[in-house]
Amino acid sequence: MAKVKGLKCRECGRPYPADPLHVCEFCFGPLEVDYDYDRLRGTLTRRAIESGPPSIWRYSALLPIEGGPAVGRHCGMTPLVKAGNLARALGMREVYVKNDTVNHPSFSFKDRVVAVAVTKALEFDFRVVACASTGNLANSVAAHAAEGGLQSFVFVPADLEQGKIIGTLIYDPKLVAVEGNYDEVNRLCSEIADKYRWAFVNINIRPYYAEGSKTFGYEIAEQLGWRAPQHIVVPAAGGSLVTKISKGLKEFDRLGLLSGGCATRMHVAQAEGCGPIVTAIKENSEIIKPVKPKTIAKSLAIGNPADGYYAYKVVKESGGYGEHASDEEIVEGMRLLASTEGIFAETAGGVTVAAAKRLIEQGRIPKDESLVLCITGNGLKTQEAVAADLKVKVQIKPTLRSFDEAMASHGIEVTPRNAH
Amino acid sequence: MPKRMVTLIFPQTLIKEPVIYRLSRQFKIIPNIRRARVTEKAGELMVELDGEEEELNKGVAYLNGLGIRVEPTPGKGR
Repeated sequence: MAKVKGLKCRECGRPYPADPLHVCEFCFGPLEVDYDYDRLRGTLTRRAIESGPPSIWRYSALLPIEGGPAVGRHCGMTPLVKAGNLARALGMREVYVKNDTVNHPSFSFKDRVVAVAVTKALEFDFRVVACASTGNLANSVAAHAAEGGLQSFVFVPADLEQGKIIGTLIYDPKLVAVEGNYDEVNRLCSEIADKYRWAFVNINIRPYYAEGSKTFGYEIAEQLGWRAPQHIVVPAAGGSLVTKISKGLKEFDRLGLLSGGCATRMHVAQAEGCGPIVTAIKENSEIIKPVKPKTIAKSLAIGNPADGYYAYKVVKESGGYGEHASDEEIVEGMRLLASTEGIFAETAGGVTVAAAKRLIEQGRIPKDESLVLCITGNGLKTQEAVAADLKVKVQIKPTLRSFDEAMASHGIEVTPRNAH
Repeated sequence: MPKRMVTLIFPQTLIKEPVIYRLSRQFKIIPNIRRARVTEKAGELMVELDGEEEELNKGVAYLNGLGIRVEPTPGKGR
């Protein structure tokens, strides 16, 4: 594994071997993977990447695995949609939607991190994988564990959306519903991780797991013709994704893969009912104050975000900002994305669209600059959020007359065939 | 003796108070500060607490009672 030098503390820089470790024993800082970029420069070319598989594994040289992928071979390379209709609705010139609602196999960006984490868990010879999850991670861990022939334990808050429960149980994991919010679930999982030799993907395998998110940034750049956009709006729960998209773009720049350098402004989107990172950005405070989540965007309902400080730093250093979205705006955002681009995103997608709308209105994202919206999960998983607003409006008898009458009574204009 | 790695998050009102000193005086706990971030609005302290389980529980309850949030360090959300 010559491309990986080992792990390194994000706070004090102390080096560690590439083992299943996640916390610096000296300063308690989180560990992250450290690569030998000098070795990669020159050998990792655009052509080498383009000749790779149409998945996250085309970027294997920048992922912390020794061999090939053990699971999730079809993950990634999701569409980057040029969203002309949405751009017009937002008054923007150039908007793209990075559409991970169709990621494989479990329809969220979590497939990226879990494909890497479970591959790594197998390399470390773990037989059990586990996670604490707000839903998407649960789906993905259960699916990839099934594919990898591993036993899985998935811990979720008991009040999770039905779609995410079913979308996990179908893979036959040991699903444990915990009577508490995500932060309480995660606290419990830390204790369990200390007691059992399991690969907790977002605890003891976290440094490797988090690297999978870089592929979200790699793909954006490659799909834009090896360019970094001027703005990216990223939804934040624990805050890792925005840091890793930024890391991915900077790595590409460092390796000479980007045209025009990397001056992307990273913006964070959170719900009003759980937005500690955005609050810190607005208050200019690098200390993230934990909150008790209360939002329909349950996948983002993490009140004490592990990477909150690092997300804050990335946003500030890039010249970006953060915005909240109310529950009402979240639903409006979901509907706007669906009605303009035909993309049904989960609540986190509504948060992203709504926060972007606010940032555009404030002039923080100028209307003539390029913008990428990170849409990270599929709307079929969180139907409860919009179900109350979406009712069948027209119900008729199975006759043409009944149809015509209904059209007239609802004021819907329909043009008869012989009118042309 | 058991050790606990915790993050203490101080509200603005307690930044000037010698909370760690009092913790070690009132309870049989040895605190070992590993890292800290203090701004004018809040404080964040990564600390190892060494003591018997009962004393640690009492100490954490004391901190909570003051309005300090105590989180297990590696256990923050993803």
